[in-house]
Amino acid sequence: MTQDTKQTQNYFLQFHGKGSEFFSIMIVNWLLTLVTLGLYYPWARAKKLRYIYGQTELNNERFHFAGTGKEMFKGFIKIILLYFIIIAIYAIIFTMLKSPVLALLAIYLCIFAIIPFAIHGSLRYKMSRTSYRGVRFGYRGNQKELAINFYKWVLLTIVTLGIYSFWLEMNIRRYTHQNIRYGNVAFSNEAEGGEYFWIIFKGYLLTLITFGIYSFWWQSDIFAYYIDNMEMTKDDQKIKCYSTATGGGFFELIIINLLITVFTLGFGAAWAEMRTQKFIWDNIKMEGDINIEDINQTEEEYKNALGEDAMDFFEIDLA
Amino acid sequence: MTNNTLEAKYFDGKSSSSQQITLVFNDKLNKPRLQSADGISFVWYLDDLQFEQYGNLLEIRNKNYSGALLKIEDKDFSTRFFAIMKQNKQLDVHTRLMHLGLTKITAIAVGMLGLIVLAYFFVLPSIAEKSVALLPESFDNEIGNVFMDTFLDENEIDSTKTKYLEQFAAELNLNNKKPLRFAVVQSEEVNAFALPNGQIVVFSAILKDMKSSEELAALLGHEASHINYRHSTKMLCRNLAGYMVVSLLLSDVNGVMAVVADNAQQLHSLSYSRGFEQEADEQGLKILMDNKMNPNGMIQLFEQLEKEHDAYIPKIISSHPLTAERKKNMKTIISSAKYDVQQNNKLNTIFEHIKE
Repeated sequence: MTQDTKQTQNYFLQFHGKGSEFFSIMIVNWLLTLVTLGLYYPWARAKKLRYIYGQTELNNERFHFAGTGKEMFKGFIKIILLYFIIIAIYAIIFTMLKSPVLALLAIYLCIFAIIPFAIHGSLRYKMSRTSYRGVRFGYRGNQKELAINFYKWVLLTIVTLGIYSFWLEMNIRRYTHQNIRYGNVAFSNEAEGGEYFWIIFKGYLLTLITFGIYSFWWQSDIFAYYIDNMEMTKDDQKIKCYSTATGGGFFELIIINLLITVFTLGFGAAWAEMRTQKFIWDNIKMEGDINIEDINQTEEEYKNALGEDAMDFFEIDLA
Repeated sequence: MTNNTLEAKYFDGKSSSSQQITLVFNDKLNKPRLQSADGISFVWYLDDLQFEQYGNLLEIRNKNYSGALLKIEDKDFSTRFFAIMKQNKQLDVHTRLMHLGLTKITAIAVGMLGLIVLAYFFVLPSIAEKSVALLPESFDNEIGNVFMDTFLDENEIDSTKTKYLEQFAAELNLNNKKPLRFAVVQSEEVNAFALPNGQIVVFSAILKDMKSSEELAALLGHEASHINYRHSTKMLCRNLAGYMVVSLLLSDVNGVMAVVADNAQQLHSLSYSRGFEQEADEQGLKILMDNKMNPNGMIQLFEQLEKEHDAYIPKIISSHPLTAERKKNMKTIISSAKYDVQQNNKLNTIFEHIKE
């Protein structure tokens, strides 16, 4: 291997997923989920993720999702257990204190306490099961650190009547991203609550003034903010990401997806999803000097699928 | 057996760099050998392999060498590899189904959907209804009581008329297996209903327009039949079973479908209730005749209801079958029935009191 440091590299991301193929996968998923009275769900999810990852390409090599239905099924069982524990807590508090309000509050507290662990677990699982050119991704965050920070940020959000939520969101993003590894490449993120707040504030105002038309440009601004702040480093080499998405692009994507979904009574959702993925990958550009053919395997394999399903269970979306 | 060779791209799982490798294999792909340019050679066993197919491109991974990846772009090899893996029973159900192609998969899905729809309309109702027999009567009483309690919070009972209605009903044989209770509530609404706990509620407005004791007996016969045949509980079981099927179907489909299915469920349960109304009409008519009352009381009752509902309600959205249709059905039965009518003065007297 040539060790040419500081030589600008070319990167191109592509998404090859086809609506018809994805539709086939979804139909088979549906059939098997139906026949198994829903038990196939984790396997179905694994198939879906594997297809989407496998259709995503960087410089002609595909990504790979190695997670299996069996792993996710174990996570699924744990989630159900967790669910029963929460119900039990509710029942106990309700019978002891006779107050539905306090019992409900306890449930919210439980869920709120679980969130950072769900974020941590799901990232660890997903990253460890993702690979590219035979090299695994990994998440090295510390769950205790994340949890303590998360509780602190949520308290600040409550004290500031929600205003701090923009900082909360960006702090989590920064923390999690800077703990992502691809072999010996480290990710980082410069997103920051203040800037994000202004993008949301400006977008909200302009969307109001333009009777909603600006919302597509608003989407594009948010997307760009997410992407433009992403960076990868390996020794003294870097890759910077930037978005080429435009408001017009988002307009076309969203409107056509809406039409496809509505006019096919929802069956076209598979095509819409492929269009969305393609739009995302077409609009992320990378610039820098990391040689992606010269990266070492550093990340351990990981076995616990709890987080993966906790994500679905609590419906938290981390783009 | 002859050995074939193919050039392939290989990632060793230690770094992201790739190398060209020569794959040596026989026709059965038995122990394919990977030979690198620098002379290292090793064997991969079929049992350890997992693969992804992207057109002609085959990505093979070995579960014993995490990260190791072999990429082969060769149509013949890809086809053969798939066939051998299939023979070796290393394909999961999903992959085997996927290999049938979109047309066949869609056909299977549509067929499956058809079966479910058939079962939903033809098998489910009778199963759900039969399962009602497993539910104790106390269940009927419980849900009836709960409903009545909330109903009484918002409505006022006319105790005098209720007393007369009780006397009226006591004079009739309503074929009931459980004790019936009666109540007249003050209301402008022309209505009456039966609860599964044996409670029959008659609204004062419907009594006001009645002209004969036969009409009232017809109404009580109809409502008592709803209770005798446990219609409410049957409806509940049908709806519950229906919702279970619908939610199972929608495990992975989106919200638009949910709305469609929800509406279908709604219409379906309405057509159920038409079947039950018809049964209650027919059994109510039988009660009239068994009590030696003029069955035309049922026709009069419908005529009175028709006057109330002169606004046209399309059949599909009305929970009661169109009154004209019900009336026609009654007329057909009466015309072919043998019945004997005796004047019951006691009933007529009580009826006059109720009308006061």
